[in-house]
Amino acid sequence: MSKKPTVQPALHKVIMVGSGGVGKSALTLQFMYDEFVEDYEPTKADSYRKKILLDGEEVQIDILDTAGQEDYAAIRDNYFRSGEGFLCIFSITEDESFQATQEFREQILRVKNDDNIPFLLVGNKCDLEEKRKVSFQEAQDRANKWGVPYVETSAKTREHVDKVFYDLMREIRARKKEENKTSNGRGKDKNKKKKLKCCIL
Amino acid sequence: MGPPPIVTGLSPNEGAPGTLIKIRGENLGKSPQDLIGLTICGVDCLLAAEWKSENKILAISGPIKGKGDVIVTTQSGGVGSCNVTFKGFHIATIGPMKESAVWVEETEPYSWGRYSLSPSSYQQEDPLGLSVEDTEKKVPEEDLLTYFPNKNGDITSHNFSARWFLLENHQATSFNDLQAGLVHLRRKVQGQKEGQLSFLKANIGAVMDQVDTLVNLKERYEIDLPKVGNEPTLKLEKAIKESEHEARKLFDEVLSRKDRAEKTRNALNVLSRFRFLFCLPCVIDRNVKKGDYDIVINDYIRVKNLFCKTDVPIFKTALNEVEKRITELQIKLHEDLQTMPITVEQQKRLIRYLVNLDAPFDSAWDAIKSRSDYINKKFKLIYNYHKSLDKPDPKTKNGSASKYSKYNKTPNVDITIIPACVNFTDEICISITETFPDLWKVGQAYFSGELQVKVEAGRQVEYKHIVMNVIENFCKFVRASLIPNSLDKGERGQFGSLTLPERDEIALYLPELLHSVRTAYVTLIRLDLPNEALDIVSLLLLDLRIHCMSIMFQQTTEQIKQLTETWKINYNGKFTGVTELPIQFLNLIEGMIQIVKESVLSTELREVGLLENQMAQKEMEKQLNNILTAFHNVLNNLSSSEDYDECENGVVSQLIGTPVSSHKTGSKSNIPIWEHRLLITLSNCLFTKGTVLDMVAEKFQQGGFPSLNTPLNNAKVLLEHLEKSILDKYLEQKSDPLVGTIEPSMYLGRFDWHLTIPPSDIRPYIKECINNLINVHSEIIHISPSLLNAVLPQVVETVAEELFRLMSCVQKFSREGAVQARADISVLQDFLSGYSTEKASNYFQEALDVVPPLDRTDAILVEDILRQCTARMKIQVLCLKRKK
Repeated sequence: MSKKPTVQPALHKVIMVGSGGVGKSALTLQFMYDEFVEDYEPTKADSYRKKILLDGEEVQIDILDTAGQEDYAAIRDNYFRSGEGFLCIFSITEDESFQATQEFREQILRVKNDDNIPFLLVGNKCDLEEKRKVSFQEAQDRANKWGVPYVETSAKTREHVDKVFYDLMREIRARKKEENKTSNGRGKDKNKKKKLKCCIL
Repeated sequence: MGPPPIVTGLSPNEGAPGTLIKIRGENLGKSPQDLIGLTICGVDCLLAAEWKSENKILAISGPIKGKGDVIVTTQSGGVGSCNVTFKGFHIATIGPMKESAVWVEETEPYSWGRYSLSPSSYQQEDPLGLSVEDTEKKVPEEDLLTYFPNKNGDITSHNFSARWFLLENHQATSFNDLQAGLVHLRRKVQGQKEGQLSFLKANIGAVMDQVDTLVNLKERYEIDLPKVGNEPTLKLEKAIKESEHEARKLFDEVLSRKDRAEKTRNALNVLSRFRFLFCLPCVIDRNVKKGDYDIVINDYIRVKNLFCKTDVPIFKTALNEVEKRITELQIKLHEDLQTMPITVEQQKRLIRYLVNLDAPFDSAWDAIKSRSDYINKKFKLIYNYHKSLDKPDPKTKNGSASKYSKYNKTPNVDITIIPACVNFTDEICISITETFPDLWKVGQAYFSGELQVKVEAGRQVEYKHIVMNVIENFCKFVRASLIPNSLDKGERGQFGSLTLPERDEIALYLPELLHSVRTAYVTLIRLDLPNEALDIVSLLLLDLRIHCMSIMFQQTTEQIKQLTETWKINYNGKFTGVTELPIQFLNLIEGMIQIVKESVLSTELREVGLLENQMAQKEMEKQLNNILTAFHNVLNNLSSSEDYDECENGVVSQLIGTPVSSHKTGSKSNIPIWEHRLLITLSNCLFTKGTVLDMVAEKFQQGGFPSLNTPLNNAKVLLEHLEKSILDKYLEQKSDPLVGTIEPSMYLGRFDWHLTIPPSDIRPYIKECINNLINVHSEIIHISPSLLNAVLPQVVETVAEELFRLMSCVQKFSREGAVQARADISVLQDFLSGYSTEKASNYFQEALDVVPPLDRTDAILVEDILRQCTARMKIQVLCLKRKK
């Protein structure tokens, strides 16, 4: 992208995490292309990027749709490093996937080394109310514990699909502004300190 | 150009060569054909791409390494852009022995390393040391082959022929160069012989390597020798044989299985073939019923191929059954082919069936013939139908009028009756428009071989005859119904005799009919018929147009003849005393020009300009002459019809106090009207001659008619004559009584010129005369002031003449009488001076000369009377004053 001379709108990198089959790709495709994919096909790693209007400002969203399968767990670290915000998805019809969110949350915090990283807990497949295994309260409690919002979505009915992406982007944007301030002020000092530390090491 | 494609999503975003990638985005092409380019990281992957939708393409990655864009190119949107990147990596290197989903460029399997002695580099050098140029003149290889059989010019070949080589490579090289080349070659050969050592030196590395390898080989062999014995290959051979045997055993089993399967299949085939044959009659029946002739034909051809040479009686019986069915089908199809109406496509299909069935008919030709028969029959049918409606009793002729509903507005035609010939012509035009193209198309298909029928000799001529015949029939029918006199008697009998309606009636329809015929003509032109055929119609059209024009003119003539005078004078405008008559005349002509121009004059596709035709022009001139003559006659009638009407409105004679003769009173009571009429007609004449005719000429010119000066000039001459005669009539009517009254009035009261009554005033007859003149003057002014100059001087002239006559008749003048006469004449002369011509003045002078001369006192007296009189009659003088 760097070869383009025009000024690019702000780029927000979102990473979809969660167990296999919870609907990460479905949410992504619904958000990107208004399309609901019925058949399941495990994802390895998909990239999507498009321009959208976020509160009147043109921004680019870059979505990295990751593999939920355990086979790929080892390479997650690499992905997470580049993410600026995370949608941690589970299926409300599958308790196991809800339990797995804990592990994802920990891995993200470990990789990013930042407790306030923009993060949304998303309970997908909320159209399948009759098959619900994870109660709303249960999930909400966990979100509260982590200090993150909890949203229930349906990639099939497109309920709250836009909301989760836009909410996350707003958080990322707010977060970036804050960082800019700090880097303008004492940020430099921090860097210097770090550098010094490195030297000592 | 639509929006360019943009790739916004990749699934997955990385992978080894051969990975299936879902490419998502916008405007990725409207169809598979629209997608014309796809590169992944710069590698063209279009071949393996599968277009799914405008938002999705499936692709297989090629030999990519590293990150890069996915660029989609479409015909509709051009080269696109990419938001996301794909990362390609090799899981393992791909070699010649490894299967791969994609084509991987092989690296050179062995390298020559430092011992480079590549044969290709050696080859490129010319053995003579000459530059190898691309000589323009090349000896063809075929020739070289015949010159040097079994040889070639390849320097490395066993069959190398030096002469071939030279001819091939150095044909254009000069002798000197060749000599130099020979020297070079010799030196090189010499050098090689001498330089074996130096060659060894140069390639010492390789030679040492070879020696090392040989030594190695020998050592290994010696080590192996005790292990495997003297003949190591024997053991190998045995192993190979054994494995071959094993393999064969395995394979034989498979082969025998395959054989068995084949046999079963064959048996099944034979069975199904028999079943096919025996079921075929039923199948044919069923398919014929369903109309699936294609299937029947297919089956028939198949069965013929399979069984036509069979000798088995049962097969023959079955085959006969099939043949019987097919023959029936052929006859049925052939009948269908000739049953009209039928579309060309249907006919073509039927012909194809018949051809495929090897029908014994000349089906295509039959189709053409049946079509032409059908057209002719339809013509006849239409004719007969309309003939049956064409009864003198108009009440039977209603119906079928709906098409002409637009004529319902025409008031003077009975709306329910449309003449049979009109309907007939119209219908026959539609009929030919509908049916003829099909005939032509079938014919074209027949001769172009589209019908897959062999065209028999002579058919061209016959076909042309058929086509011409149809068109001729059509034309003759139209002629017979509209312009029967263009056909000779025999044909008129043949093509019928519908009653021709009245001219006024047909005039309404003619433009429409002309249009119908033209439409038919255009259809024929579109078919690209030979000129010969088109010319027949073209001729008909020309005749029809002339006829139409003629009818139009005739109709106008008739209408002009019926023009009536309203006698309402139109006071506005430049021309006074003009009634609506000339304008009506002009409007009629204008209307006619419009219609003629619209319908007849305009030339359409492949038509001759009507007025370029001599006959048409002559006809038109004649008709125009008729029109103008008709108008002339109208005017003439108006001016001569003394007994037009006997309306007795109280127009009082101005000759009050004059004892008038009885016959004059009788006619006089009518005269004002009659005279007015004369005047009006006269001014109409003038107006027509001076203005309307020019306008007519102009209109004709605007309408695109050629110059029509001759008839117009004729009309002008005619009008001039008419004018003169009217004027004469009017003058006669006016001046006769006026002049006639002078003499009686002069001698009224036993007056005589020798009486000695002292003159105190002019005599009453002069006053009467003046008053009469004023009366005439006012009459003319009332109707048309412009006529004053034409009429009044003439009247004055006759008055003067009469005066002179009377004076010269006087035998003796007394002195007083002379004074009186002189005063009278002078006053009259003075008063009428405004309108007196030279001739009139002369008459006055001569009258004066007759009167004996006066002495001085008398002259003064005369002048006195004159002055008094002028003063007293100021108003009268004013009346007769000529306006400048």
